[in-house]
Amino acid sequence: MKKRFWLPIALLAIFAMVMAACQTAEEAAPVEEAAPAEETVVEEGLCAGVQPGDEITLLYQWSGTEEEKLNAILAPFVEECGVVLKPESTRDQALLDTKVQAGTPPDVAFWNVAQLEQYKDTLVPMDTLGANGDNYADFFKDPGTIDGVWLGLPVKADIKTIIWYSPAVFAAKGYSVPATWAELDALVEQMVANGDVPWSMGMESGDATGWTGSDFIQDILLVQQGPDYVLSLISGEIPYNDAGVKQAYETYGKWAADPLYTVGGAQGTLSTGFNDAILKVFSDPPEAMMVKQSGFAGGTILEQYPDMVYGEDYDFFPVPGAQGMQGGADWLMVFNDTPAVRALIAYLSSLEGGANWAKASFDLSPNKGAEGNYVDPALIKKGAALANATGFTPDLGDTIPGGFGSAEWAAIVSYVNGGDLDAALASVALAQSEALQ
Amino acid sequence: MSVHRTARKHGLRNLPVHIILIGLCAIWLIPTIGLLITSFRPVQDINSSGWWTIFSKPKGYEEYQTYCSVCHGDDGSAIPEADLSDPDLVQNYRRSFSLLPSLSREIDGQPHMADSSVPDETQTAAIISYMRRISGLDSSSRLTLDNYIDAFTGYRGNNTYRADCASGKQSVDLYCDIRDLLNPRGMGRAFMNSLFVAVPSTVLPILIASFAAYAFSWMDFKGRQWLFALLVGLQVVPLQMTLIPVSRLYAQLGMNGTFLGIWLFHTGFGLPYAIYLIRNFMGGLPREIFESAYIDGASHWTAFWKLCMPLSIPALASLTIFQFLWIWNDLLVALVFLGGQHPVLTYQIGNMVTSLGAGWHLLTAAAFISMALPMLLFLLLQKYFVRGMLAGSVKG
Amino acid sequence: MSKNSSGIMRQKPMTPWMYLLPALIVMITFIVYPGFNTFYLSLRNNDNSGWASTRCLAGQPCWGVFENYRYALTSPIMQTAFLNNLKWIILMVSGTVVLGLLIAVLADRVKYEALAKSLIFLPMAISFVGAGVIWKFMYNYGSSQVQIGVLNAIITALGGQPVSWLTEPQINTVALIVVGVWMWTGFCMTVLAAALKGVSEEILEASRVDGANEWQVFWKIMVPQILPTITVVITTMVINVLKIFDIVYVMTGGNYGTEVIANRMYIEMYKNYDPGRASAIAVILIIVIIPVMIMNIRRFQRQEEMR
Repeated sequence: MKKRFWLPIALLAIFAMVMAACQTAEEAAPVEEAAPAEETVVEEGLCAGVQPGDEITLLYQWSGTEEEKLNAILAPFVEECGVVLKPESTRDQALLDTKVQAGTPPDVAFWNVAQLEQYKDTLVPMDTLGANGDNYADFFKDPGTIDGVWLGLPVKADIKTIIWYSPAVFAAKGYSVPATWAELDALVEQMVANGDVPWSMGMESGDATGWTGSDFIQDILLVQQGPDYVLSLISGEIPYNDAGVKQAYETYGKWAADPLYTVGGAQGTLSTGFNDAILKVFSDPPEAMMVKQSGFAGGTILEQYPDMVYGEDYDFFPVPGAQGMQGGADWLMVFNDTPAVRALIAYLSSLEGGANWAKASFDLSPNKGAEGNYVDPALIKKGAALANATGFTPDLGDTIPGGFGSAEWAAIVSYVNGGDLDAALASVALAQSEALQ
Repeated sequence: MSVHRTARKHGLRNLPVHIILIGLCAIWLIPTIGLLITSFRPVQDINSSGWWTIFSKPKGYEEYQTYCSVCHGDDGSAIPEADLSDPDLVQNYRRSFSLLPSLSREIDGQPHMADSSVPDETQTAAIISYMRRISGLDSSSRLTLDNYIDAFTGYRGNNTYRADCASGKQSVDLYCDIRDLLNPRGMGRAFMNSLFVAVPSTVLPILIASFAAYAFSWMDFKGRQWLFALLVGLQVVPLQMTLIPVSRLYAQLGMNGTFLGIWLFHTGFGLPYAIYLIRNFMGGLPREIFESAYIDGASHWTAFWKLCMPLSIPALASLTIFQFLWIWNDLLVALVFLGGQHPVLTYQIGNMVTSLGAGWHLLTAAAFISMALPMLLFLLLQKYFVRGMLAGSVKG
Repeated sequence: MSKNSSGIMRQKPMTPWMYLLPALIVMITFIVYPGFNTFYLSLRNNDNSGWASTRCLAGQPCWGVFENYRYALTSPIMQTAFLNNLKWIILMVSGTVVLGLLIAVLADRVKYEALAKSLIFLPMAISFVGAGVIWKFMYNYGSSQVQIGVLNAIITALGGQPVSWLTEPQINTVALIVVGVWMWTGFCMTVLAAALKGVSEEILEASRVDGANEWQVFWKIMVPQILPTITVVITTMVINVLKIFDIVYVMTGGNYGTEVIANRMYIEMYKNYDPGRASAIAVILIIVIIPVMIMNIRRFQRQEEMR
C-alpha cells in the first residue's frame, strides 16, 4: 500500500517536470508584440548603446486590457531597439517592497507618487537618465521631485474633479449643467423636489474603502478654499483638523448621509462599491442623476453598456467653481541604470512617446506630445480640461506618505457612519504630523 | 463486520442522519452554486440581476405580456408598421424616457395604450430590455460558455474571444485555433507551472516531517519535549515577516526566481504544522506494534518505513491535501520567489482583472477551472481514509 | 542517552538527530532566522535608522525602545483588533470543530460519504479570489431596485429592508466569521474523519450489541478515542484564527470595525511602510500562542506517560 500511495504522486511529479521543462524553453523570451502602429514614428538615435536582446524588468499594477494598451504603446520602442521586456503585474505593494528591500528591485516600476519618497535613496534621477524634461509642465514635474531631485516620470494621468451625468436624462427631465457651485446646489435641490436622487456615491473598495469620499472632499476644498490651501495641507503647514477641512466634510456629509440626496443614504454610500455607484447613474431607469468620479468612469460605463454613445448617453462636466483640477498620475521610477532603460526613458519622455500614449487611449498623458493626438472623444475633452486647468493638485492620500492615506479614509468612513467629526479629524491630523515628521 | 455495516446503513433509524447531512451539504453548496451559475452568464447580465433569475422568465417578459403582446403579438411582429422584432426600430428606443412619450401619445386619434394604463419608468425599462431580446439586439441566450473560453485562453480584449475571432479582431498573440490552449497568458501553461511548484512542495515537507515526527514519537532523547514545543510554535510566525529576510538570502545565493527556491520555502513553512499533525498521529499508534518489531530485531529505519509510514497513511493523505491546496491557491509567495516569468495559476487569474476591477466576470469561470484539480485530488485520496488499518494487527 | 523506561528501543545517541536534521535545517533557515529578524525590527523605528525610542513624540507616553509595542498594545485600532480576534476564536473555532465533527460522524454512516465530504470540503479548494466573488453574491447590498445578493434578495422578497452585511458594526464581524466557518469546516472534517477511521469497528459493534444508543456510542467511545485529534484540530484552528487575514483583507479591508491583528500587521507593513510596528504586532501574535502550545505539550507528555 505504501508503494501504491507514492507511485501516482511520483508519476505526477515526473509528468509535471517534463511538461515544465518543455514549456520553460519556449517561455524564454516573451517579446511583447502588438499591432504595429502605422502613424507612429520613433526618434533616430533612440537606441544608442542598446544591444538587441537586452532585457528590462518592469513592475506595474496594470493587467487585463490595461496591459494590452501598455504593450501597444511600447511596441514601436521594442521593435526599434530589439529590447526584451520582462513584465510583472501585481497590485500588491508587498511585492515591490520585498524586492526593493531584498536588493533585487525591478529595473523599472510604474507605481504611485508616495513610492518616490519611500525609495528616494535607491532611485536613479531622471536627469541622469536623460529624460526630456521640457515635455512636461512644471506642475507635473513638481510632485515627482523629491528633495530637489527629479525622480519620477509621470506617464499616465487622470483627472478627478469632474462629475458624470447622462445628457439624455438631463434633457428629458429639464436639468441643465451648472456653471457655478451655487447653481450646482440649486440643481441638487431641484432634483430632490422632482423626486429624483441627485447623487450616487460608493465608498466600498476592499482595503481602500473611503477613497472616493476623500476625492470628493478634496474637490470641495478646491471650491471652498483653493489649491494653495490643499498644497499647504500636503506640506503640513495647515493641520488636517483645520476649520476649512471641517467645513468641507460637513458639506459632503450633508449629501452623503441623507437618503434624499444620495442613493441609499449613509448605508448606500458606505457599502456600495465604487464601480456600482458609477453604474447607478446610467441604469434604466436611472437610480441617481450624477456621480463625481475620475475619468476612468467612462470605461466602466462602456463595459456595462457597450451601446452607449459618449456625448449623448454619458458625459461629464468639471466640478463648477473648482479652482484648479485634482488629479492622479502613475509614475515611472528607475532602480537600475542600463542603456536599455535609458532608451525606454528617452522614448517615453519624447513627443512621439506622448503621441503614442494618446493614440492608445490609455488615459491622459502628461507628456506634451499627447496634445492633439487623442482619438477617444472622452479623452479629448478630458485632455482639454487638464490643459486649461488653472492649477493641478495631486491627491492628498497619494502624496503624503505612510499611514495618512488609510487614516483619512477611515475618518471619512466613520464620519459618514455617524461618528464624531472632530475626533475623526484629530486622528487624521495625528497621522499627518507623524507622516511628515 | 459486513453484516452489521449494511444493517447500520439501512433502516429508518438512519433517516435523521440523512436529513441533517443533506441539509448541511445543501447549505454549504448554495454560495458555490451562485458562482457556478454566474460563470455561465453573459457579463451584462451579471451586474444587472441576481443569479437565481435564470430560473425565471427573462427580464421584461411579464411587463411585455401585460402591456404589449395583446396588440404586437408574442414575437412583436403582429403590427407591420411597428414591428418590434425589427432591430432598427428598437434601436431608437434605448432608454425608458425615449419610449414613454411614444406610449403616451395618440395614434390615429386613439391613445396608444387604449384602455389600459401607461406603464411606469421601471416597467418601460423592462419592456425595452425584452424588446431588445426579441429583436436580436441583445443575445437571447442567458447562458454562455464565453467566460470559460475567455479565461482559459487568456483573452484580454473588450469583447469575447469568439466575437473577436469571428470578426478577425483578435490580438496578435491569439491564433483562433487549438494553439490558443497553450497561450502563455492563458491558464493552460499556468496550470503546468502551478503543478510544477505544488508537487515537490507537497512531497518534500511530508517526507521530512515524517522523519522528524517519528523521532519525536518513538525515540527518546534529551530535550525532546521542548524542542517539539519550539518547532511547533513556529507555526505562528506570520508569512509576511519571512518574505523579506528570505528574499535577501536568496538574492545572495542567486536563487530568486528559481523553482528550487520556492520549493524550499514552502517546505520550510509547511514543516511545523506537518510535524505537529503527523507526530500526533504516530504517537497514537499502539506501542505493542513497535515493541514486537524491536524485539524481533528491527532497526528504527525498518520500523519507520515498514510499520509507521503505512499505518500513518490517513494522516499523510490529509496533509497532502492541505499542503497541496495551500500552495495551489497561494499568490504572494509565488510572486515573491518565482516572479512573473513563471506565472502560476493564481497570478494568471489575478491578471484577468484590471486594476479597477473590470473583467471580473472572468474570475467566476477561472475560479472553477482552478478548483478542478484540488477537488480531484481530494476525491482520489478519499480511498486512503479507510477504517481498519489497525484491525487484526494487534491481538485482543 | 537512551532510556528504556517507556519501552522505546535503545538507539545510538546520534540517530534521533539524524532524523531531525533535515527538518531543523529547513526550519531554522525559513522560520527561525526571520523570526529573530522580526524581533530585531520590532525594536527599531520605521526606516530602521535607529532604535524605536526615537519615535517618541513629545508630550505623549513613551516606552523607550519598546515604543512599537506601546502602539501595538494600546492604540484604539489594535484594541478593536484584539477584541475582534477574540470573537473570531470563540465563534469560528467552535463552529468549525463542532460542525466538522458532526459531519465526519454522519458521513461515516452513509453510502454517499465521499460525495458529502467533497461538498463540505469544496470551499477550501476555492482560492480566496473565488471566495471573495462568491460571498459578494451572497452579501451584496443593493440600495433600491435590484438585489444581486442572495441574502438581501430573500429579505426583500419577504418584505424587509436590505441589510448591509459588511458595514453594519454589530453584524459584520459575524458575517465574516460565517465565511470563515464555511471555508474551514472542511479542514476540521477531514482531519477528524481520518481519526474516526482509526476507531475500531469491533468495539463499536460490541457496544451497540450491548444496548448503547448512538448518542452514548458517540460520547463514551468515539470522542475519548479521538480526543487527541480533537485537541490538535482545536489548537490548529486557534492558531489559524489568530492569523486570519485573507478573508478580512479581501472583503472589508479591516474597515467598519472588522480589523484583526494579522490585517493590521499587513497594513502597517505594506501600506504605512512601518516595519517596526508591524514586527511588534507579529511578536505579540507569537507570544499569545505560547499558552496554547504549552497546553498541548502537557497533553503530549500525559499521553506518553500513559503508554
